[in-house]
Amino acid sequence: MGLFDRAKAALGLGPLASTGPGPPGEGKLAAKKAGRPPLKDLPKASSEASLDDALVARASGKHEEARAVLAAIDRGKGLRTVLRAAAALEAGDLPEVELLLPALRDTEPRWMLPAQLAASVAAPEVRGRLLEDARSSGAPAWVLAWVHAAADDPIEATRGMADLLFADAPLARTVAARECKLDGAVDAREAVERYTSFAHGRDVIRRFGVAPVLAVYERSRGRSS
Amino acid sequence: MSRRVLSLFSVDRAALHAFEAELLDVLRRDDRDALVTLLAFGGTFADRARATRRGVDLFLVAEGEASNAGIYASLRRVVKKRALEHAWTSPSPALEGRLREYDLLREEKEIAHKLDLLLDEKRVPWFLRRPGGTAGMLRAEEKRGLADAIKSVEDLPPEIEAFAAALEEVPGDILCHDALA
Repeated sequence: MGLFDRAKAALGLGPLASTGPGPPGEGKLAAKKAGRPPLKDLPKASSEASLDDALVARASGKHEEARAVLAAIDRGKGLRTVLRAAAALEAGDLPEVELLLPALRDTEPRWMLPAQLAASVAAPEVRGRLLEDARSSGAPAWVLAWVHAAADDPIEATRGMADLLFADAPLARTVAARECKLDGAVDAREAVERYTSFAHGRDVIRRFGVAPVLAVYERSRGRSS
Repeated sequence: MSRRVLSLFSVDRAALHAFEAELLDVLRRDDRDALVTLLAFGGTFADRARATRRGVDLFLVAEGEASNAGIYASLRRVVKKRALEHAWTSPSPALEGRLREYDLLREEKEIAHKLDLLLDEKRVPWFLRRPGGTAGMLRAEEKRGLADAIKSVEDLPPEIEAFAAALEEVPGDILCHDALA
């Protein structure tokens, strides 16, 4: 899709934006989206929009537009649903939040969201709780080590990086190259997919804003943040 | 560039695990003096280990960097001394290709599976893996099964027959490696 088409899609001007009486973005994708909560009182957006469109809209202060995009591109699970629920919670749309929480709880792998949040929060108590959630949900050693390796505390970061080296040396070198900017460190080809699978979601959460995502995650666990 | 040849080493698992635990411990504590002692670094390497921001950073830099190759060479020398005993080296540069692709071996699922394990670097600690190199480990029972299975195949090339004979003779768990002998 070209830049112009993407812009049109984000604004709900794409081919799917005005098909039929139902929620924007339905039409031929309606079957795929069965079971998803409908949009309510949100601007039109197309399912051809992207996550980036939602983040750009949010960054511009257009939170309702961002919510519409997130609803249109929601696949019923995964990061997009998490962000949709976070945006709904932020807007005080509790009915939509409640509808989305089961999908949040069922998102696989279950350790991913708490680990990505743990990698994004500074408060030690919250971080520790999120890491424990990730661990008890089966997070692999490399994820836990990576989160520690990225800690602000230099002693924890050193221990974490040593653990990461032993848990997954190619990934440790990739993290050293991409995030620590260590001289002489280079990506290990076999670890790039693992790196991206975790870092993409973590970085999107940071762009979106950690607080609302943390709040909706805690709500999904029956806790108040 | 000459092609590397495969060697077999008898592995002292307890000693290997002990070394692994010691190395992890000194890196986690970032104890440079202990690191220098453990890896028997001298001269330039000792200076580098003491000057680097963190000891662990030494092993996050690509081994392919000329300035870093010696660090790994020193590390592997220590591992070899503490936990490995050289048992056999194939004279044939063709052996690895035969083990990976020779159809009479590959047609036998059990043999193919065990050979893949023997040549799977994920089964060896990170410090024994060399970029672009070959390494793998087999437990004693896997090694015996592989040796017996290969010997049951007829009309094998001499380098494979020699390999099977060596497998039988090396005691305990084995490491297969192309750059430690």
